Amino acid sequence: MVMLIFALLLMQQIDSSPARAHPQGPRTIAIDERLAADVGLKLGDRVIVSGTTGGGGDTVIVGAIVRRSADPSEIARGEYRVRMHLDQLQRLIGYGERVDRFAVATRSESSTVLAQRWINDAAFGFRAHRSRDIAVGTSKTFLVVTRFHRAIGVITIVASAIFLLCIMLLKVDERRRDIAALRLMGISARTIVSSIVLEAAFVAVLGSALGIGIGWLSSTIVNWHYRAVYRTPLIFSLVTRDVVTLAVALSLVLGVAAGFLAARRLAKLPPLALFGR
Amino acid sequence: MLFTLAFTSLMRHRARTVLAMLGVAVSAAMLLDMVMLASGMRTSFRSLLLVRGFQLRIAPKGTLPFDTEALIDSASEVRSIVQAIPGVTTVSPVLGGQLRVELRDRVVAATALGVDPTVQGDYEVTAGREPKAPDEVAASDELLEAIGARIGDTLWVATGFDPQLRTYVSRRPVIVVARAHFLYAALGQRMIGAPLATLQSMRGSEAKDRTSLFMVRVGNGVDVEAVRARINDAAPKVTATSIASAMKFVDERLSYFRQLAFVLGTLSLFVGFLLVTTLVTVSVNERIGEIAVLRAIGVRRGRIVLQILIEGIAIMLSGAIAGLALGLVTGRYLDTILSDFPGLPAAMRFFLFEPRDAWAALGLLFACGVLAGIYPSWRGASLPIATTLREEAIA
Repeated sequence: MVMLIFALLLMQQIDSSPARAHPQGPRTIAIDERLAADVGLKLGDRVIVSGTTGGGGDTVIVGAIVRRSADPSEIARGEYRVRMHLDQLQRLIGYGERVDRFAVATRSESSTVLAQRWINDAAFGFRAHRSRDIAVGTSKTFLVVTRFHRAIGVITIVASAIFLLCIMLLKVDERRRDIAALRLMGISARTIVSSIVLEAAFVAVLGSALGIGIGWLSSTIVNWHYRAVYRTPLIFSLVTRDVVTLAVALSLVLGVAAGFLAARRLAKLPPLALFGR
Repeated sequence: MLFTLAFTSLMRHRARTVLAMLGVAVSAAMLLDMVMLASGMRTSFRSLLLVRGFQLRIAPKGTLPFDTEALIDSASEVRSIVQAIPGVTTVSPVLGGQLRVELRDRVVAATALGVDPTVQGDYEVTAGREPKAPDEVAASDELLEAIGARIGDTLWVATGFDPQLRTYVSRRPVIVVARAHFLYAALGQRMIGAPLATLQSMRGSEAKDRTSLFMVRVGNGVDVEAVRARINDAAPKVTATSIASAMKFVDERLSYFRQLAFVLGTLSLFVGFLLVTTLVTVSVNERIGEIAVLRAIGVRRGRIVLQILIEGIAIMLSGAIAGLALGLVTGRYLDTILSDFPGLPAAMRFFLFEPRDAWAALGLLFACGVLAGIYPSWRGASLPIATTLREEAIA
């Protein structure tokens, strides 16, 4: 399969065409549904395509409207895509017999490696790349965004940790009289610390469950919004099992640590001091 | 007296106060970063476009500069038309392309810009001199480093390959006469600047009398939008883009970051607000007896309100000042991450610090500090004195 991708200027829908026509009549093109929606084109419409503005073009018929695949590399680009016959495009843009790239299908992973090596040994002026490597290269936009999100995530975790510690400290501090009474009744400091840690863990799990719900809802809204903005089937936000596990684990560890630190601080004090005497 | 009381009250639970300040500091850092992100991209992009004073860009009809490989036909005619429009002072043509630099053992690809050296606005010569003769070029640091060349070296360059004949196409020698900083190059992009006619002839018939874009400078006091409209009328094969319309386009493409900045900034503010409200409320609850005594001995309700408000504002502002410093550090780090964004000029900054950003963040945090103190101060000031004293005595 040979593909040649080039920006074409799609001219206005025509009534009477000054453009060239193919000997067998106008040829067909495929346009993406974004272009069809924006320009108001439908199947069977005749348009003129040209490589230059104002230059002569070819009259073609819209033969297919296609939905583009989810491609992260194109996400921020609002461009349209037209697919047409190779020879016609080469002629329109004065490209001669050149192409931008060949896509080569292979039978297996091993034959891909062999084919790549063979082509690169024999080639002059071009190189063979594995589709997987190209995909990695063209996904750089998302890799950068992922790194950015991760950094923001770390800041958020630090803020959450401090917030949680502060809240647990306040919560435990509020019960200093209860703790004093328990100590005076003979309950050991260890039991008191354990009960507060248990309570902190319970609060953390409950908070995590609520957080997962809010996260899932936010994720749904984010996907709905950005899919509409960029008109793409891409998934922008995904709540995976790993993400949930990490969030719950972090919350649990932070909650328990905060509860333990706050409880130990009070449990060390003499009961009468806790009463304020 | 009022400040002393507020200070004493905050120092009574040092660990708690320090934690709250730390929490506010992280929120403030995030808030500053988000304020910087929201405005930094626009400011940075705008100043980048205006760095050499060109207020308009002209690209093939319906396209944006270098957004497609389309070229402007009859470039010299278009240039004359634009030059004749009143108010236009400079028209700088630019042709983009790819060049291969031949080395003994390998070939290095570089992005080439064909420019008119007398009016070019794409690069700044950092060493050497502006290339003028047809066989002279300016090269970026990245390219010189990749090929191990210096000023004065001769390079063999070509525009492409002929696989059938196994030869390079339009091969010719050029002399590096300048080391240059290319203003719009992406990070690590290898650039070469050559006279326009040289690149046009190397690209052959496909680029004959064609350019990728024109950059236009208009005189002081001239209405840029009016000139833009006149260019679009006078040259129907091209589209002139002003800084304002380019900004609109950038806003659309990078709207994600502005929205993210808004959401995260709001969340940071809310977290800071929640933290201070909780802390001050608990603090007031713990000393309602003390507040009732103050009221009983004649301290006015307004003073109580003020003291509690000062506590909230003090936590917020002390945390905010530390947070702003932290925000500058994290902002720089986040900027290095986003500077890898493909296709964007390396000189573009996402997190650009401007004093007004710091003032905006401080103002918002101050307002939050006041708001955070409203509920606890209202609660403290509206306590029934006798009942509270009796309850406290029993307790």
